[in-house]
Amino acid sequence: MKRKFDLAIAVLAVLALIGIVAWIMQLQRGLILTNMRNPFTWGLYIAMWAFYVGTAAGGLVVSSAIYIFGVKQLKPIAPVASVTAFIFAVAAMLMALPDIGRPDRLLNLFIYPNFKSLILWDFIILSTYAILSAIYTFVLLRPKIAASGISIPFVGTVMKRDMTAEEIQRLEKESERRAKILAPIALPFAILIHTVTAWVLATQLSRPWWYGGLLAPTFIAAALTAGPAVVILASLIVYGYRKDLQDAYRLLAKVSAFSVVALLFMYYNDFFVRQWWDAGREFDTIMLVFRDYLAIHAVEIIFMLLGTFILATRYNSVGGLVAGSLAVNIGILAHRYLLIPPAYNIIPLRVPVVLGIESFEWSYPIAVGDIRGTLMNPQPVFTAYWNYVPSLIEIAITIGVFAIISLVLLGMLRALPVYPQGSQ
Amino acid sequence: MVRYGMVIDLNRCIGCRSCAVVCKMVNSVPTGTWWQRVETVGSKEHMVPTGEYPNLSEVFLPVPCMHCENPPCVKVCPVGATWKREDGLVLVDFERCIGCRYCLTACPYGVRQFNWQDADENIKQGFEVAGFEENWYKPSDYKYGYPIDHRTKDGRLVYTKTRPRGVVEKCTFCVQFVDQGIAPACVRGCPGNARVFGDLDDPNSEISKVLKDRSTFRLLEDLGTEPKVFYIPPARKEGRGGVNYEKKV
Ligand code: SF4
Ligand code: SF4
Repeated sequence: MKRKFDLAIAVLAVLALIGIVAWIMQLQRGLILTNMRNPFTWGLYIAMWAFYVGTAAGGLVVSSAIYIFGVKQLKPIAPVASVTAFIFAVAAMLMALPDIGRPDRLLNLFIYPNFKSLILWDFIILSTYAILSAIYTFVLLRPKIAASGISIPFVGTVMKRDMTAEEIQRLEKESERRAKILAPIALPFAILIHTVTAWVLATQLSRPWWYGGLLAPTFIAAALTAGPAVVILASLIVYGYRKDLQDAYRLLAKVSAFSVVALLFMYYNDFFVRQWWDAGREFDTIMLVFRDYLAIHAVEIIFMLLGTFILATRYNSVGGLVAGSLAVNIGILAHRYLLIPPAYNIIPLRVPVVLGIESFEWSYPIAVGDIRGTLMNPQPVFTAYWNYVPSLIEIAITIGVFAIISLVLLGMLRALPVYPQGSQ
Repeated sequence: MVRYGMVIDLNRCIGCRSCAVVCKMVNSVPTGTWWQRVETVGSKEHMVPTGEYPNLSEVFLPVPCMHCENPPCVKVCPVGATWKREDGLVLVDFERCIGCRYCLTACPYGVRQFNWQDADENIKQGFEVAGFEENWYKPSDYKYGYPIDHRTKDGRLVYTKTRPRGVVEKCTFCVQFVDQGIAPACVRGCPGNARVFGDLDDPNSEISKVLKDRSTFRLLEDLGTEPKVFYIPPARKEGRGGVNYEKKV
């Protein structure tokens, strides 16, 4: 086990390093190293940002289930769940960072905030959620930290105190009481992070693929799919598959499986409504999905369905839980990636052209932003369709962020005394 | 109050793209970036009519920034780097923009452009693509464009020749000229005199008179962005290149 863990750490460290190098290159040369351009301004980074916001849902789902709805069987995994919530909220913000053209000016968000902008609100809500999750984790672990301390590599164990059994009991009571107060405060934020993230996109009337009231509910459903699955994976790493956690795993698997069904219902409901009219921008977004992004759409649907099926039937085995959780997360990842291309490749400025009795809508091309091609084979400067494929730099940075986040997550799960009494 | 707007007469536009070129020169617009586009409506290539002979149409449509009254780009900007000035000009503060590109997503007209790399690199790349030898172009040498940086009254940098990397730029209605009482370059540079620029709130201005006399339309009216660029629709001409209407049934 120890060797496997070390190997995983080593691989992640290498990936993180590659990511950091790629990031430095991007900082030096600019976002030209990505394959985004003026007609297609957000890409992999923003898709991953939305993905991480979703995976951050797990923690507070678990804690609110325990303290608001009284689902006691989830209690043993609460600390792991809130650690994942914290880490993925941070991941979302970290993922947005390489997308920013001028990271050196980020302080402007505090100096000149525009409260009409939902990106600003998203930043506020996400950081609040991250802080709340951190506090929540600490509150939950307080008695255990006092009992066995935090073990930091090279530093040793800190914050350990010698206590009588009585004192520990008092701390445990206190932790319970505080968690009960915190849960209802944190719950609205747990819902808001997905809602506001969806609103960043759903408010844009110029992008029919996003626009409308349905995006936020699908974001919540996607979060309730990915979040619990991530908690399952994290607690399997920490605790392994144990008899006393069976109930907790079953419940999480069920929440995740049910949310996929809700998500697919809303998704295809929207598809149906859009395709029925047979024309217009909304219709064209659906046609674009089926024409150009069918493979991604297939991955998204197949993995989601497969994951649901496994989670709904095989929740009693480690293999089933791991396969199911991974499958739904891959499905959600594809779902998140598909958030981007149909939004940009339906150009908002379309001019109706009437020719005799025929008419069509013509997309006004957009200047790409650089000169491509060669003298004999020049690429167009103006284009109404951008075939976006993430560049190597984008992929390296994205994997790097994932590696860094996984390292921190594993490190935290190691350092913090999340282990239930009697194990280790 | 002054409120600037523009009328473009599509009957007069000959599709020569002079406005785009003069804009580019005067505003030091980097290679690959265009504040002003002129395209042939419905056609893949500019200057190629659309349709099938003899049922053809060739309408040129210039698109600058619309300087919307209800600009989504202003609303989405998290740091207020894009804002609407009292005279209705929608401007970008080069020193405040954080380069998040939310505004490129929000603008329905595709007029916003990002500086994906240093402008000098863009120019070098342009020369390379055009087949010039290496080092033919030295970035430190001459740079085209209006030479003086321009700041608004409250000190915000809205025009500079040396474009910072990682920020957004777009048509400013030539704010550096408008502030000196001079019309935008595209208005002055149009050989067909297709453009009228002026104060929409002044009933005696030329633009107000044109708007009163002529029927006009705006682009994507249904989005409620209330553009301040108005178009006079092209009239169909009879005879060659147009449709011959049957005189008898
Ligand atoms: S045309 Fe686009 S950039 Fe110009 S004001 Fe309107 S929304 Fe903003
Ligand atoms: S790219 Fe710049 S101008 Fe556009 S929304 Fe972001 S900060 Fe504002």
